[in-house]
Amino acid sequence: MATTATLTLASADIAGDPVSVSKTATLTKAGTINDLDQSIGLNRVHLRSTTNKVLLSANTEGNNLAAKVYIINKAVDTSLYLTVTINAQTVGKLYGGDFLFIPWSQTDTDANIEVAATNWTSSTGDIPVEYALFHEDTDFLTNA
Amino acid sequence: MATTIASINITSTDLLSDSLSLSAIATLTTAGSSTGLTQTGGLARKTTESASQYTLFAATNYTDDKAHKIYLKNMETSAGLYFLISIHDVEVGRIYAGDWALIPWSADSTGDNADFKITPSTSASHTLEYMIIHE
Repeated sequence: MATTATLTLASADIAGDPVSVSKTATLTKAGTINDLDQSIGLNRVHLRSTTNKVLLSANTEGNNLAAKVYIINKAVDTSLYLTVTINAQTVGKLYGGDFLFIPWSQTDTDANIEVAATNWTSSTGDIPVEYALFHEDTDFLTNA
Repeated sequence: MATTIASINITSTDLLSDSLSLSAIATLTTAGSSTGLTQTGGLARKTTESASQYTLFAATNYTDDKAHKIYLKNMETSAGLYFLISIHDVEVGRIYAGDWALIPWSADSTGDNADFKITPSTSASHTLEYMIIHE
């Protein structure tokens, strides 16, 4: 069972010589070569909140297990952005078309991943957001 | 204007009962515009030999509240060796051997400086490759 994530970063003109980075990671459980075997699938929401909304709720049993989060702002308008926050700390902003792929420690129940459509107004339209989580089994059945 | 393209492909033939194939392409632009990011620190490599926390990028060295992007790759091959990523004093997550991450970073310096930090898992040699693409 293997899930792979490949990133390519390429630019012919951001520096004097081209930038070309291509890396593939096999997503594994913390500190092992065993593959991650859980996923919430690809989700889609339409965000119209200027205040933080919980996108992924932290499970403390996942603390320091391996979890990977993918989020993409599917807005076509590049001025529409999501502010991504973990534990009240702003991580960064995803502008229209931007994506992130980050590890997630879930250190405690405050470590939710939250997003806000900070510059949303009723005239901008909703911001479509797609996201996925790949993680270890945290004994889900006993926590259901 | 520079053009930098980031693309991601996440695939699995056996995580689910149907194949997973997810891909996206982003042109990295300055905040709220279609102008490409023009600044980079270049691809860099750092080898640590202490379990202390290191500040990889100090927020005060970058413009606050912009569309900076940070790429990280744990170059280790021993599965147990990781870097813990923190922003200010909040833990984001761990990148284990072979893992990479692409992280937007606001470089917020209006309150507590949102410095971008890494902490190796042990004092054994850990090597990280990284690059910032910024405004």
